[in-house]
Amino acid sequence: MVERRVVITNRLGLHARAAAQLVRTATRFQSFVRVERMDGSANADAKSILSVLMLAAAHGVELRLTAEGDDEKEAIEELSSLFAGGFGEREP
Amino acid sequence: MSKRAKREVREERWRGLAVSEGLVVGRVLRIHAGARQVYRATIDEADIERETRRLRAAVRLARMQLLQVKARAEKELGADHAYIFDAHLLMLEDRKLLDDIESFIRVERANAEWAVKVVADRLLAVYAEIKDDYLRERGSDIEDVTQRLLFALSGGADARARQLKDDAVIVAENLLPSAVAELDFEHARAIATDAGGWTSHTAIIARGLGIPAIVGLRDLHRRARTGDMIVVDANRGEIILHPSQATLEKFQTGTTRRRDTRVASAETARAPLLTQDQIEIFLRANVELPAEFEGIRKFGARGIGLYRSEFLLTQRGTLPSEDEQCEAYKKIAALAGEDGATVRLFDLGGDKIGNSLAGAEHNPALGLRAIRYSLRHPDLLRMQSRAVLRAAAHGHLNIVLPMVADVRDVRCAKEIINEERVKLESEKVKIGAVKIGAMIEVPSAALLSPSIAREVDFFSLGTNDLVQYLLAVDRSNEDVADWFRSLHPSVLQSLRNTLDAAREAGIPAVICGEMAGTPAYAVILIGLGATDFSMTSSSIPRVRRVVAGIDVSEARDIAMQCLECETADDVEELVRSEFSARWPQLFSAETLPSPKEKK
Repeated sequence: MVERRVVITNRLGLHARAAAQLVRTATRFQSFVRVERMDGSANADAKSILSVLMLAAAHGVELRLTAEGDDEKEAIEELSSLFAGGFGEREP
Repeated sequence: MSKRAKREVREERWRGLAVSEGLVVGRVLRIHAGARQVYRATIDEADIERETRRLRAAVRLARMQLLQVKARAEKELGADHAYIFDAHLLMLEDRKLLDDIESFIRVERANAEWAVKVVADRLLAVYAEIKDDYLRERGSDIEDVTQRLLFALSGGADARARQLKDDAVIVAENLLPSAVAELDFEHARAIATDAGGWTSHTAIIARGLGIPAIVGLRDLHRRARTGDMIVVDANRGEIILHPSQATLEKFQTGTTRRRDTRVASAETARAPLLTQDQIEIFLRANVELPAEFEGIRKFGARGIGLYRSEFLLTQRGTLPSEDEQCEAYKKIAALAGEDGATVRLFDLGGDKIGNSLAGAEHNPALGLRAIRYSLRHPDLLRMQSRAVLRAAAHGHLNIVLPMVADVRDVRCAKEIINEERVKLESEKVKIGAVKIGAMIEVPSAALLSPSIAREVDFFSLGTNDLVQYLLAVDRSNEDVADWFRSLHPSVLQSLRNTLDAAREAGIPAVICGEMAGTPAYAVILIGLGATDFSMTSSSIPRVRRVVAGIDVSEARDIAMQCLECETADDVEELVRSEFSARWPQLFSAETLPSPKEKK
């Protein structure tokens, strides 16, 4: 199992568009992927948009990504780069 | 005749907020959204498999429909508008949702409809608890997907909405985004909803398509039946259900005449518009959605007088890059052609952006928005300026600065734009000449218009905001609707000041609020000295017809009398009596301000 800490850098947080991107990306991999709030208050299956939206993860929230499976390394790389890139949102 | 039957046919009236102008007489088509009745049925153990298969088939059907809606929304509203349907698709594909529903069917031996409803309600309850405003609103997406699934379970979509009769007036409690995108707009003549506001999805799309819409009608949906006669008078924000014969005759002559002018306008649209005393008047288009682009040519607009650029951002919640913006502005310039297009810099902040980007403000209309927002975030302004300057190498483009309060805002913004111009030149990037204008919509700017006029190449008069700020009235607040008076003497005096300042400085002034698109108001504005207007393009034919029939000197006589009035009531009374005496052929009673009912 691999894990990575990420911070939500885009201002809108994990809203519908960002969540959709996250889920679309996660479902491309075989691995089981979870997203968890660092404070342990909520965790989600990264392949379920409803579960991801329910994290209610706003701008600045710290999350732990974990992936387990054959392609776990690739999965965690791609997913954390989505967070790093702010889901394609640019700061105004 | 029973008491009940009598009530059924009596004429009933509603007042609401007109979010897209026009007048239509048609028949009600009720659309259900939200409260769809679902009943519980207990199924036999043996039927559980069959029920699960029904659910899966419904999911497949709903998915196919969503893909079509998404493709259509991309085509008609732009790709950025369609992303929400991607989230809806993912919800339908969500294992968590489907597993929960299937296990509910199995454990509770419930019919699929009931299982969908219970599981969705539980999800919605969780969302209602979320503290973040934006995320909490995603509940409406879950509702949307659930409704679609329930439709699919009942054997298909709401087929009635697809095959509309020619005179269909959509009546709904509220239109969910996908229902709006799915409507057969070719035949929908008007929209009337119980809920909604000026910035609701329904409002934006109705304006884009140029069909009348009234929102905030409280209980119309409950009272109307599909097939009922209905009058949607969005010029006055009034709905008349079961109109009497007398009412119908009054309105039907009105609509017939309007249709005739549209046909005639197709031939005359390109010719210069002259008043009876040979003064040329320019009618340009206000544009926001891609759906509005077609109207520019169709209605004969002289270019684009106002392009609301924040559409590029608000529709997707992310900032487009300089290159993406440049492409968008090039397209706008190409659409506008020789007459050119005026790009209004991002009018961001406050209501436009919601709470998510700007952080909640107590009073967004008076907050950090428009040019204030751009000056606070200069990178945003720099990027947008570069994009417009570059696009101007390929067509005629102007920039207008929204919500300037005085000449300081103008100087600060111009300095930044000029710095980018110099940078681009030194980078050897091809740029075009861009005129810079000021939006006059804050009362201070109207008062100080002579000094602003010396700093800019043109004025754009945003009458919607000017009326709102001058009279301190929120136009979407029904309780103060009686105080929102476009023909208030203070508004007319401010407009005159501004038009005079522009004339003295020798710069053009374009009127681009709702007032421009209302023929009676346009005539008063011409009387105050305006010759240049920008409006929703579907309003052009009727304004054109009226303007061609008047004398500027007569309009000036009336306008000067209006300036002497003490109250909006007096102005409106004057307009009613003078217009119907001088131009009875141009103004029927319903195109003039209605007399205020004494309470």
